[in-house]
Amino acid sequence: MERAEKIGLGVATAGHVLLFGLLSAGFLATPNPLKLNSPPMDVSLVDEVALQSTAPRISTEPPPPSVAPEKGPTEDAAPAAQPEPAPVPEPTPAPPKPKPVPPKEVAKPAPPKPKPTPPKKETPQAAPKPKPAPEKPAEKPRAKPAPEKPKAAAAAPAKASAKPAPKAAKPAAASGSGKAAAKPKGSLLGNDFLKGIDTSADAPRKPAAAPQAAAMGPQQKAALDAEIRRQLKPNWRPPSGADADQLVTLLEVRLDKNGAVIGTPEVIDQLGVTASNRPQAKLHAERAIQAVKLASPFRNLPPEYYEQWKWLRPLRFDARLNR
Amino acid sequence: MNLSMPDVGAAVGAATDAATISPLALFLQADIVVKGVMLGLLLASIWTWAIILGFSFTLRKASKQSRAFEEDFWKADDIDRFYEARGKAEFPAAKVMAAGVTEWRRSTAQKVIDRDGTRDRLATSMSSTIAAEVDRLSDRLNILATVGSVAPFVGLFGTVWGIMRAFTSIAAAQNSSLAVVAPGIAEALFATAIGLFAAIPAVIAYNRFSHGINRMESRLNRFADGFYATLSRELEAQR
Repeated sequence: MERAEKIGLGVATAGHVLLFGLLSAGFLATPNPLKLNSPPMDVSLVDEVALQSTAPRISTEPPPPSVAPEKGPTEDAAPAAQPEPAPVPEPTPAPPKPKPVPPKEVAKPAPPKPKPTPPKKETPQAAPKPKPAPEKPAEKPRAKPAPEKPKAAAAAPAKASAKPAPKAAKPAAASGSGKAAAKPKGSLLGNDFLKGIDTSADAPRKPAAAPQAAAMGPQQKAALDAEIRRQLKPNWRPPSGADADQLVTLLEVRLDKNGAVIGTPEVIDQLGVTASNRPQAKLHAERAIQAVKLASPFRNLPPEYYEQWKWLRPLRFDARLNR
Repeated sequence: MNLSMPDVGAAVGAATDAATISPLALFLQADIVVKGVMLGLLLASIWTWAIILGFSFTLRKASKQSRAFEEDFWKADDIDRFYEARGKAEFPAAKVMAAGVTEWRRSTAQKVIDRDGTRDRLATSMSSTIAAEVDRLSDRLNILATVGSVAPFVGLFGTVWGIMRAFTSIAAAQNSSLAVVAPGIAEALFATAIGLFAAIPAVIAYNRFSHGINRMESRLNRFADGFYATLSRELEAQR
């Protein structure tokens, strides 16, 4: 080995040691920006179609009683208010009681009417009963318009809350017992009103048991359509042939509550019929009817939405159903 | 169905540490076979660089001295005196001249001079000296060629071996996540990296040095031809 080679070997060794030393010391190391410091995520895979109503459930609990001890006093004041000048003293007791009353005066007899209606919505069964109640308050206002307005407004909270209403009615009866029971009621709550309240008190239980009021949202409707299509699909054998995939048959199908087809599905219309696929059109319709019959009874249709699926019109059969 | 993956998260954490590791850590983590490959390639790289540095030094020195010697030779009036002064040096051009002068002296020492035989012997002795010098210079070039062509394959062997090992670790862990295979593949690829690190300078140096050797050889040949022509003319004049 020559001297030059010895020098070369020494330099090469030193260079390699230096290079690897620098690399080992992290000279060229780029800091890794992808520090995965986010915690692992739980993933849940849900394979069921949401056919259940997502509408908020109506609470079974009665609404909290409103603190309205003023019912009795107002009734006492009502007889005093019968003479026309009376309204002037009235405002003095009124302010402590229902403060929001003055603004309601603008709305005259109108306010009493809408207020009875909310119980109606909550209790569809009770619908006939509340009706008389609003009528009578409406009649009375005509007799004495001036005093009524504040009272009607005061009665409003009583109606909204089921509990205080009877209480209010009782003092009314107690105070009004000295005079005619029908007239002197300052609160304008007739006996009929009590009926309505009684029913409305039980009412909240029923809607909670079966929320029939649930209206179909677009998601539920899409899920329902998808469910029906899913059940039709295995039974749908469209005819094959020239342009047969352009054929569309629209059926009208009636279902009972168990999802079974009532009667025979009827062809409403056929679309996409051309000269080349005309021979297939009738077969297409027959196959569509057959598919519905084979798929009957439809399962997994939400009973609370029966109104939505009892009459399927139009039920569309086309080439896309296969896909 | 809940897919919670805490162990994968832990493995990913380990992998991020592995992402910043040094060549030393890669070397220490590797399999024994891959370690051997890396070590051999590192030694090959050191050797290659030693040859490159030494050879370039030698070649440059030889070519510089030869050129200076040739220029001085053509300027010299008396070949014998020039030879006595500088002909004993240890570089190619001086050796070629020494061979020619030695052969001349031997051939012209006899009473009867065979001119054709003397010309042949002069030409042969000088060309053989050139060949010997070129051989001596290009002694280490074959090592550069070998490293340049073989080192990538050796590195590839280490990589294939390391990746095979990484796959067996996938099978052992029952988990095909990147965090399981990545460290093994990284250290396996490091073997190829070292192989290329050794091979690339070796190939470049080999090409460059063989070109330098060729130039040196042709230069020596030209010098030998010129010297031969001079000696041949002297032979004509010899009585």
